[in-house]
Amino acid sequence: MKKILTLVGVALLLTAPLAHAQLGTSTGTTTVTVAPVAEAALNITNGSTPLTSTGTNFTNYTGSTGLTYYVRTTQSGGSGSITLKVTTDFSPANGPSVATPPNAGDKLAYTCTLSGVGTACTGSVTSSTTAATNVATFGADAHTVTFPGGDTATTAWTLTNDPKYKTGSYSATVTFTISAS
Amino acid sequence: MIRLAPLVVWGALLLAPIRLEAATLTTTQTLQAVISPLGGLFSFPNSVTLAKTGTAFNNFTGSLSIQYRERTTQSTGGGTITVKATADFTPANGPSIASPPHAGDALTYTCSAATLGTNCSGPLTVSTAASTNVVTFSATECTGGGGSCSTANPNTVTVNFTLTDDPKYKTGSYSATLTFTISAS
Repeated sequence: MKKILTLVGVALLLTAPLAHAQLGTSTGTTTVTVAPVAEAALNITNGSTPLTSTGTNFTNYTGSTGLTYYVRTTQSGGSGSITLKVTTDFSPANGPSVATPPNAGDKLAYTCTLSGVGTACTGSVTSSTTAATNVATFGADAHTVTFPGGDTATTAWTLTNDPKYKTGSYSATVTFTISAS
Repeated sequence: MIRLAPLVVWGALLLAPIRLEAATLTTTQTLQAVISPLGGLFSFPNSVTLAKTGTAFNNFTGSLSIQYRERTTQSTGGGTITVKATADFTPANGPSIASPPHAGDALTYTCSAATLGTNCSGPLTVSTAASTNVVTFSATECTGGGGSCSTANPNTVTVNFTLTDDPKYKTGSYSATLTFTISAS
């Protein structure tokens, strides 16, 4: 008698079909890389800068413009600056003028103060319609101190009160520029 | 004559056709497979670069897509994909997850488009001290095949990173390591 044993087996897949040959890993790592470069930004905090004169003896007009600035210069060899330029002279005519004042001694000048990184301009600086003039300078590896609020700067203006100005309202445009390398 | 009878009988018996009967014995063996919950990360990107465009000092951003497969226990299972900064940014003097130059600086992320599970909404802040959520799986979730499982195989989720651009970071290149972990129960 010949015994025949028949085994009945059922093949089962022990894992999900398509993942059978790819189990993956329980962890994965990735390297996050970032490269900050020299950058600069500024905001003018005044909506406008009125110049006013107090008293009656042709005292100079004065006013101030506030800035908030952010800067990062290159670690080695970097630099930066804040400058300003009168990009539109006073108008209408017959009032003050930066480019062609009624008298040679008339001028729109400013002094600078900084609260933060950088070196402020020295003394009184006469503004110009033809060239940018200095407000602040930054050396290598300069970084804004206050963040996110930003560092602050102020330009305090003085405009000669020349009696030759006809009465009325006159406006000029000053453009501030910040740079960093 | 009588002596021949037994011989005849024996001969008849010997000559009679012998019917062969094979005995068949059947037995069964039970095979049991225990299908366990399982999760795996596949084709994992080994780097992501954070970059920026436009306005000075706006945030650095970058994204990476993760592929995964998951199977959770029916009725009671669950699982997660989490992320942790296992190495902070180096070298020093740049961004830092654990000790940023200013309190508001952070490496944050949002998650989107998970094809299995529920992705985080965010923004969440990456930490060196603890893992934070990317995807959450519930019971009876599975990859591939459609029906009660996902159609997509493998599954994917996108992680979108944002890093504060603090002016205090010195110029240069900085790198951190993030470790993603998948689990299933």
